[in-house]
Amino acid sequence: MHHTVMDHLSMQDTFLHRLDARSKLIAVVVFTIVVISLRRTGVGIIAVSAVGPFAMLLVGRVPLKLAALQIGCLCPFIMIIAISSAFYDRSVVTIAFGAYELNTTQGAIGAVAIFARFAVTMMAIIALSATTRLSDLLAAFSSLGLPKILVMQIGLLYRYIFLIIDRACHMLGARAGRKLRYLGLRRELSTSAAMIASLFATSTQTAQRVSDAMMARGFDGTIRSLKKSTFSIADTVFLAAVCAYMALLLAVKGVI
Amino acid sequence: MAPVISINGFSYRYPDGTDGLYDISLDIAGGEKIALIGPNGSGKSTLLLAMGAFLHGHGSIVVDGVEANKKNAKQIRRAVGSVLQNPDEQLFMPTLLEDVAFGPLNMGLGDEEVLRRSMDALGIVGLDGMKHKAPHHLSAGQKRSAAIATILSMNPKIITMDEPDTSLDPRNRNNLTSLLKSLKQTLIIATCNIPFAAALCKRAVLIDSGKIIADGPVEEIITDEKLMQSHGLETAAIPESIDF
Ligand SMILES: Nc1ncnc2c1ncn2[C@@H]1O[C@H](COP(=O)(O)OP(=O)(O)O)[C@@H](O)[C@H]1O
Ligand SMILES: [Mg+2]
Repeated sequence: MHHTVMDHLSMQDTFLHRLDARSKLIAVVVFTIVVISLRRTGVGIIAVSAVGPFAMLLVGRVPLKLAALQIGCLCPFIMIIAISSAFYDRSVVTIAFGAYELNTTQGAIGAVAIFARFAVTMMAIIALSATTRLSDLLAAFSSLGLPKILVMQIGLLYRYIFLIIDRACHMLGARAGRKLRYLGLRRELSTSAAMIASLFATSTQTAQRVSDAMMARGFDGTIRSLKKSTFSIADTVFLAAVCAYMALLLAVKGVI
Repeated sequence: MAPVISINGFSYRYPDGTDGLYDISLDIAGGEKIALIGPNGSGKSTLLLAMGAFLHGHGSIVVDGVEANKKNAKQIRRAVGSVLQNPDEQLFMPTLLEDVAFGPLNMGLGDEEVLRRSMDALGIVGLDGMKHKAPHHLSAGQKRSAAIATILSMNPKIITMDEPDTSLDPRNRNNLTSLLKSLKQTLIIATCNIPFAAALCKRAVLIDSGKIIADGPVEEIITDEKLMQSHGLETAAIPESIDF
């Protein structure tokens, strides 16, 4: 379901979609590094850093609800890290909102900051993947020096992860159809293990046949691509804007 | 006319000891359309894989004058395009156009030629309007056509297809039949669908338990009730048109 939506979004035609995948990839990587390097407690600055990816989502016509949903899905994992930070540092800090004062701990602020930082970088990554076709993104990875075989792996993973998910769904469906009651933890565990084993076996057979299919068409380990991506004036403008934004972020980081 | 594929006393045993093929001898002339019929597990897929130099056994397979051994595999696969049974496993690039271009690019052709061939192939199977779609979003019939296009773009002399009619509804199967009829290449089609075989091919080769049981004009073989039933196949009348 999710991949279908992303695929459709990436076929739109906006300023952001027309940019070279490499510019967008570089921008997101640089942005992520800058955001991660910000001071741990800089909650204010993170608000400023959210402006960029937010603008990208708007310009790229990515539904904000969808972005929020995707970030939401990953929240539980980040929450664990964030909460552990809250317990880590308990020195008391006072935050003043005009006349109101709030006593809290350094750790709690840290937790909020980790969370916000995660949301901000996720926003940028979602904006990238919703405005760039996967094939272009893969080509960008490889032209920026990622080993070809790794790029191929990412592409293939993307391609047949759906086959495997599909198979898993079928198996679960078939099992639900035959099983009428809870069988007790031990039997449940052992049938689950058997299912995973069979899923693994069919996956390796699938991999073998996909590899046969590739060999049938003369594959010898190098990916050759049709499209030569082109860098346009729009890319220069975009990258200049990104640079200015990064400079701004780094400049204000000591102030807010 | 010299045969384009010549198989002589070929046998293959799978690593686990299963006999796949036993003493197969078969000559196929250029431009022939052959139906390879037989029940499930009879060895149809194994024979097609052997023709594409994916597995190597005893005896000889000569394709277009070249011995189909490990060393010549790449050359063999330029002559023989193999359309595998499951299109989901044959289509692996992010977009349809890239998938169809994959073969020609690997052949070392220039970009313009690759693009021309790919668009031609997509045109032949009627998918030129969908070139930017992801292959896994196509319907079953479209996937089948797409898998065929990925082989057509390489312009092989010989095309083998493993049960290309499975999971197609009657209309899609009719479309496929007319498409395959229009191809000029030598076609070897494995199928258990007898009406489909009859609509498409003049010659049928019946195999069972890895052996060739009968080889001859399709109408003679598929109307032989005793022969067909003893190998778990249905008989069929020769269709007047391709509507079945
Ligand atoms: N990878 C394999 N390993 C072992 N045995 C196999 C393998 N693939 C097929 N076989 C066996 O070889 C025989 C021929 O199979 P196959 O060529 O797939 O038949 P068909 O395509 O006519 O249904 C069957 O008995 C099958 O079980
Ligand atoms: Mg088979």
